Amino acid sequence: MNVLLAILGKDLLIEWRRRDRLVAMSVFAVLVVLILYFAAPPNRAEGGHAHVPGLLWVAYVFATVLGLGRSFALELENEAMSGLALAPADRGWIFLGKALANVLIVMVVQLLTAFAFALAFDLDLWPIAPALAGVSVLGAIGLCSLGTLFSAMAVRTTNREVMLPLLMLPLMIPVLLGAVRATQGLFEDGAVPASALQLLLVTDGVFLIVSFLGFEYVLDD
Amino acid sequence: MSGRGPAIEAHGLTRRFGPVVALRPLDLRVEAGTTLAVLGPNGAGKSTLLRLLAGLARPSGGTLRLADTDEDRVRRRRRIGMIGHETFLYPALTARENLVLAGRLWGVADPAARAAQLLEEQDLGAAADRPVAAFSRGMGQRVAIARALVHDPEILLLDEPFTGLDPTAADRLAERLREAHTAQRTTVLVTHDLGRAAQLADAVLVLVRGSAHEAPPDGHADATRLADQYRQIVEAASRSRSEVTA
Repeated sequence: MNVLLAILGKDLLIEWRRRDRLVAMSVFAVLVVLILYFAAPPNRAEGGHAHVPGLLWVAYVFATVLGLGRSFALELENEAMSGLALAPADRGWIFLGKALANVLIVMVVQLLTAFAFALAFDLDLWPIAPALAGVSVLGAIGLCSLGTLFSAMAVRTTNREVMLPLLMLPLMIPVLLGAVRATQGLFEDGAVPASALQLLLVTDGVFLIVSFLGFEYVLDD
Repeated sequence: MSGRGPAIEAHGLTRRFGPVVALRPLDLRVEAGTTLAVLGPNGAGKSTLLRLLAGLARPSGGTLRLADTDEDRVRRRRRIGMIGHETFLYPALTARENLVLAGRLWGVADPAARAAQLLEEQDLGAAADRPVAAFSRGMGQRVAIARALVHDPEILLLDEPFTGLDPTAADRLAERLREAHTAQRTTVLVTHDLGRAAQLADAVLVLVRGSAHEAPPDGHADATRLADQYRQIVEAASRSRSEVTA
């Protein structure tokens, strides 16, 4: 647990000092919202918002992929990743520290993105804000768990910018299914369907366990 | 030699990267409390050997034991302090923050106090709260040395630790390594500096293209004699390779 907290604190402190990742993710997410606004303009007719949950998650996913790509880039400087790998702890705790830092950063970006979305698509998100926040956190955990593992794998490859989305996006489909259905339920009925919530929880659990165990091997040469 | 048995023992240790053999089957025994210098030209497999010993890479073949036990990788890492080619430091953090982080990762009881002590020992007290990004190579190397010592390890694995150090800092590190030797710490020192190797090592291993070659019988030798022996070994290895190729 000490290792988790040490890595989490280190990543957040570096992000606070540099802010490059957070700014890049936020600007990118807002640009995606802008593009979606023109590509699929808001439709005020009944049922005209049916596609909005999907669009919202498209913006979340793209911004997350961008941010996760940078997550291990900072570990390449001075070969700090080897310094982490030497630590006498189960490397799963290093993974959890990195993943939790990623989740927190993604949550900030999700908040800004949701605000931009509400403005662009003329949505009143206040009534469903707490539940939407919960769904967003569950989605962020799913995206960042496997995403952190793949980011560590991709960072030492020559085409890391391409490798991460190629590895990550196909496996994110269950998270997206659960998150979009849950958000859709919130938009339409003000409640999260149980099946969507179960899918999110199960996917998060499986991804966290697989990544925790797999990380031991990812840091080796 | 201390007579306490081997601190590091390897049999047939091998490392391949795809078709490239970085380290050919190597038998190695480093007695506890002694210093082994690993010499060799660039690309000889010295750093690969060090990373295998540190547990940063998995061997493609052979066995590796530390301190005559088959302990797990986590416990093995606790015994090791390493200085690599790079400093392992985060440029955005200060020297103190880097050392406190290392102390927390290694479960040091009071990381802040330990960091302060090591910074003073490395004569970095005045620069302790500056980001490492602003440090010269030599200053960064001194922080890296402090980082490797943060948990007072039994085994030191050092890859070119004198790189970038000014003469005073290099002498201080050499003194520190002599103290480690007196304190019965085991050290594996990869270096191109034959003078330092002659000063510090109890035994010498020469690697050429991934193969271990007969080392001079004793360390603490005269630097000139060691340099002559080293040259002969490398030339002989190159000749035998040319003959095989021909």
